[in-house]
Amino acid sequence: MSATCEFQAKDYKSDLKPIWCPGCGDYSVVQGIYRALAAIGRPPHEVAFISGIGCSSRIPGYTTAYGFNTVHGRALPIAQGIKLANPDLLVLAAGGDGDGFSIGGGHIAHLIRRNIDITYIVMDNQIYGLTKGQLSPTSQKGRTTCTSPYGSLENPVNPLLYVLAYGAGFVAQASPTDLAGMASTIEEAIRYPGFAFVNVQSPCVTYGEEAQQIKGLKAISESLAAMGHDPADRLAAMNLAQQYGQKMHLGVFYRNPEPPTTYDALVRERQALLAKDALPKERILDLFIKK
Amino acid sequence: MATQIDFARLSLMDALDLAVLIEDEAKERYEDFAAQMEQHRTPEAATFFRLMAGNEAKHGQELADRRSQLFGGLTPTVTRAMIFDVEAPDFDEARAFMSPRQAMKAALASEVKAHAFFVAALPALKDAKVRALFEELRDEEVLHQTLVKAELAKLPPDSGLSDDDFVDEPAAQ
Repeated sequence: MSATCEFQAKDYKSDLKPIWCPGCGDYSVVQGIYRALAAIGRPPHEVAFISGIGCSSRIPGYTTAYGFNTVHGRALPIAQGIKLANPDLLVLAAGGDGDGFSIGGGHIAHLIRRNIDITYIVMDNQIYGLTKGQLSPTSQKGRTTCTSPYGSLENPVNPLLYVLAYGAGFVAQASPTDLAGMASTIEEAIRYPGFAFVNVQSPCVTYGEEAQQIKGLKAISESLAAMGHDPADRLAAMNLAQQYGQKMHLGVFYRNPEPPTTYDALVRERQALLAKDALPKERILDLFIKK
Repeated sequence: MATQIDFARLSLMDALDLAVLIEDEAKERYEDFAAQMEQHRTPEAATFFRLMAGNEAKHGQELADRRSQLFGGLTPTVTRAMIFDVEAPDFDEARAFMSPRQAMKAALASEVKAHAFFVAALPALKDAKVRALFEELRDEEVLHQTLVKAELAKLPPDSGLSDDDFVDEPAAQ
């Protein structure tokens, strides 16, 4: 991270006080985002932060960026619209595992295949915390919650494998066990020219299990860089991603070494091309009126 | 706790800058904790965390003044990204409705952690002045532990109840 950037982490912190439960992992995620944005150095008014619904989706309000706390599961389509309408904005999307992989699960595939230049941060706590502890798409099989009092019979979604399989160009994982690492991972995701996905293991202190708290996560953490993982190797990334739930690999799983052109850039190109033959605004009605 | 510091190459200016960053990080974390407690209507713990934030700010300012006297406005070479949770309590140390005892225990654990950091760094240090500074900082952490323990001793006896005593088992909806 650069020590000479124009903005400091505090420049991205809003006056709104978070109302997350004390000890929630999301406090560290917002700190990581402040640090990453400061390292990027874009002024807050050039950043749009879009979220869905849930505890973690409150996050845009705690930043000085433009923010939109949208409807459940719809952060990505709205972020996509914003990016296409104003491609110069740095667009971040955020939400929880339920918002991203259950209610909004259908949207991820399409943002990935379009390769829109958005960074999507999922705060994965394996539970619906805001609604008081129901089973979520990443909850472990056998998990006892108020909606699975005898233990869950479902296999969890593997978010890392999910996005890798759809062809995401940048896939990483972070956790509050290493804030500096989280900040640099988010920074790297933002710098990637295309759709970037960061899964943050963010423990729920109120409804999360003991093993999923920071101390438990520390015990299963392993740095991908220290393991010598080559982030250009997609198959190796998929292999490592299969250990989701058992091991917590931190860092970049996959970074496409030759990022393809983004959808927003292609749209701009197409617009420029069509603009040459486009009718002037005052003659648009001629297209619809028979003469 | 994590750092990305090459202790063998640490100069006195770097060491002072580092010490200031460590105090700043702790101050900010205590301020965050105090805000969390205020937000969740736990004023006693909030007051204690504000006190700790004030102490960290005071120590940080003393170190910054020393740095300024010795090295003036020279640009620092160490950054905040190089340290994590050295003297700051871990993010998950905060809990809803913390008692003053729990708050003080969290602070005590942080002082122990900071002491361990300086002790662990000492063998790698090459510069005699940096070593002297780290020894001073290490000893200060012991003093801080004593102060927190003294505050803990003033509290009425522990009720013996744990958080689990107030939690219901999951119920089917």
